[in-house]
Amino acid sequence: MSETSSPLPGVEISVRSGRGFLNLRLNPRRGQALEAAERILGQPVPPAANTFTAGEHEIYWLGPDEWLIATAAERVLSLGSELAEGLAGFHSAVNDVSGGHVELLVSGVDARTVLTKGCTLDLHPREFAPGQCAQTGLGRAAVLLAAGDPSIYTIVVRRSVSDYLCSWLANAARPHGARFPAR
Amino acid sequence: MLLIECPWCGPRAETEFSYGGEAGIERPADPYALSDAEWADYLFFRSNPRGAHRELWNHAQGCRRWFGVERDTVSYRIEKSYRLGSAGSGRPAAAQIEASEEKRR
Ligand SMILES: [Zn+2]
Repeated sequence: MSETSSPLPGVEISVRSGRGFLNLRLNPRRGQALEAAERILGQPVPPAANTFTAGEHEIYWLGPDEWLIATAAERVLSLGSELAEGLAGFHSAVNDVSGGHVELLVSGVDARTVLTKGCTLDLHPREFAPGQCAQTGLGRAAVLLAAGDPSIYTIVVRRSVSDYLCSWLANAARPHGARFPAR
Repeated sequence: MLLIECPWCGPRAETEFSYGGEAGIERPADPYALSDAEWADYLFFRSNPRGAHRELWNHAQGCRRWFGVERDTVSYRIEKSYRLGSAGSGRPAAAQIEASEEKRR
């Protein structure tokens, strides 16, 4: 799904396959619960709104008591049960939401220009710096948008609207030399 | 389009939100003690002021949290937005949670 055409397209779009997703809910003011989760995850659970941490997993802030953990598909089952076990004594929830999500990568010098065509956020790195994420609208779809290294954006979108979003992206990226076949 | 300040996410376009009506309406503690007129007043009647209006909004396409907004119904100007449970919304239990969450940051 990730072929792009020469010469030097300004943007590349690909579907990141083999990914799994867990939804984590806990009250961050319960320090012990947060510590238990971070010990199992091996990286910080981001406390600040609209930020994410990257390590073995990507952990995205979704709300003041809610995070999305993106990881390798084959890791989801074990990680999910480790978390459920480690958080058993706390008011918390761990849910495997792998079936409902698709992860896309949009990269290249024109990536920001392409996304800006359908997003109301100011995506300039001054406002939307690497390490920041946002749940927002792209085209007509609700997405989780994250800024990685400069000019690399990750999009997590509901599977049911991913075909639509891929078509939208393909259309928006065409003037920038990208060939991204919508399925 | 309104630019609405989500208390968690910051200013976002109106299209990301859904409107939840007037804020501060409390469900009567003992509904059976109410007359039909009083119950109807709770269910159906809203203040509909000209000017300052406290209302609920949900950041539907974002963090999906409910929060309060004070909006002028004449100018559409949003005077402030606040987390439910913070000062002025009259929800002491939530305020405590809020305060301790604040402390963690
Ligand atoms: Zn929000």
